[in-house]
Amino acid sequence: MPVTDNAVTDNRTPGDLSGSDITGAFKSGTGTRFTRLLGIATIASMALLIVFGLFVSPADVIQGESVRILYIHVGTVWVAYLAFSVTALASAAFLWKRTTSLIWDRIAGASAEVGVLFMALTLFAGALWGRLAWGKFWVWDARVTTTAFLFITYIGYLAVRGLGGSHHQRGRRSAVVALLAVLEIPLVHFSVKLWRGLHQDSSVTDTTKVKLHDQMLFSLFIAVIAFTLLYSWLVIHRQRVMAMQDALDDKGLDYALQQRRDEGDG
Amino acid sequence: MLRVARLIAAKDLRIELRSRVVTNQVLPFAAIVMVMFAFAFNTDSVVQKVAPGLVWLATLFSLLTLVQRSFAVETADGATDALRGAGVDPAGIFLGKAIALAAQLAVLELVLLFTAVVLYSAEFRLSGLVLLVTTFVAATCGLALVGTLYGGLAAGVRGRETLLPLLLLPVVAPVLIGATRATEAALGTGGAVVADGWSWVGLLTVFVALFGVGGTLAFGPLIEE
Amino acid sequence: MKDIGFILAAYIATFASSALLAVYVLRRGRALAAQLPPQDKPWT
Repeated sequence: MPVTDNAVTDNRTPGDLSGSDITGAFKSGTGTRFTRLLGIATIASMALLIVFGLFVSPADVIQGESVRILYIHVGTVWVAYLAFSVTALASAAFLWKRTTSLIWDRIAGASAEVGVLFMALTLFAGALWGRLAWGKFWVWDARVTTTAFLFITYIGYLAVRGLGGSHHQRGRRSAVVALLAVLEIPLVHFSVKLWRGLHQDSSVTDTTKVKLHDQMLFSLFIAVIAFTLLYSWLVIHRQRVMAMQDALDDKGLDYALQQRRDEGDG
Repeated sequence: MLRVARLIAAKDLRIELRSRVVTNQVLPFAAIVMVMFAFAFNTDSVVQKVAPGLVWLATLFSLLTLVQRSFAVETADGATDALRGAGVDPAGIFLGKAIALAAQLAVLELVLLFTAVVLYSAEFRLSGLVLLVTTFVAATCGLALVGTLYGGLAAGVRGRETLLPLLLLPVVAPVLIGATRATEAALGTGGAVVADGWSWVGLLTVFVALFGVGGTLAFGPLIEE
Repeated sequence: MKDIGFILAAYIATFASSALLAVYVLRRGRALAAQLPPQDKPWT
């Protein structure tokens, strides 16, 4: 086959762009102008959170300095619950015939990944705070226990996503598992609540009553904003990475078929 | 759908009766778990106090092996694919397999309860008999339903042995809590009274209803290719 | 500041792991983007 410039471009399969002079244009990755702005806003609000959370806001009258951990804790737990709600809604959208599209599956998956990370951070910061406030890392409170169950359940959800099979199979399977989790979590919460109720232990809510200073409230507000921005940034990028991974899986097959055809022609 | 369920359940139970895997492997496994608990907790008074919880924990562990077994039978020679190809109603398959699993679980639980009475000298009283039977029926149905649901999901994929416990155990936590407390009430463990047990049976019933409906709807999409 | 170790542990763990995830996602995105034509990246 005569190698002219044109022939090289024509024979190039979708998966193979190496050595091409237009590769540079593709290198932009998952970012756009919007996500860059979002990223800058995230970093700025995180910096503001550190300034207010660690320095400007005062120590609490009852809890002392340990209240500073709560800014992190509340921010991460909010994001984790938000993330799992988004996963549930996106899964429902994927299963509903009129809106079914792999984009919902990717949003559900990306959101669950971010949610699992923030749930782990929530449990970590919560345990540290609990040690300072109650003298122990863990209490068998319904809310705390349900949080741990959410964490494990969504680790299972991510494992289901990794099972393999076609993209649609992954989407259907994981969407069903996500919706079953919606069924499971209230039951777990209710049963733990009923279980703890019989034991009449000291209630957690008594010690969490914080007289909120204005600057504390403001710090909490910043924390929620900052972590929500971080969540959006992470999900947008992760979801695009997943889209590219899926496309590459499909195109990889095309590439192999193309090679076979070339062999056949030759 | 009910006819399919009956056929599937009869088929599964016939396989188990002939192969005797449950009687020869799962029951001895459950029994040794009960003996191991006694080693771990050492003193007689402690095992007697926690006997109901241990019965249900041993049931959960055995449930995992039973579910694996129930679906290994299907995937071994592509039987699920054949059923799907023949256009059999997935809801029927789900209910049929759940019924067969419930029957096996019921046998297992009876043996475990008997073991607890013998090994842990758990006390047994007549006044709690109705509560005890209701609890066992409700908990067995609940476990069989979720076991079949997640077993169907994990069937035929690589790494199912490790995936199934991760998915199944968090879901059955309410059954463990509810069935243990209700059994304690029925047996009078630690001075519990029978009347306390009924709210837990209520919890178990809600569980059965939710996962019965949810499972029937979800099983089809789960096993579809 | 009292309990500074606990407080810093919570802050550092949170920011460090978020940053790690962000960097991982960005790098993965770059690597994949180099292998795909623009029609597979509708956001560009």
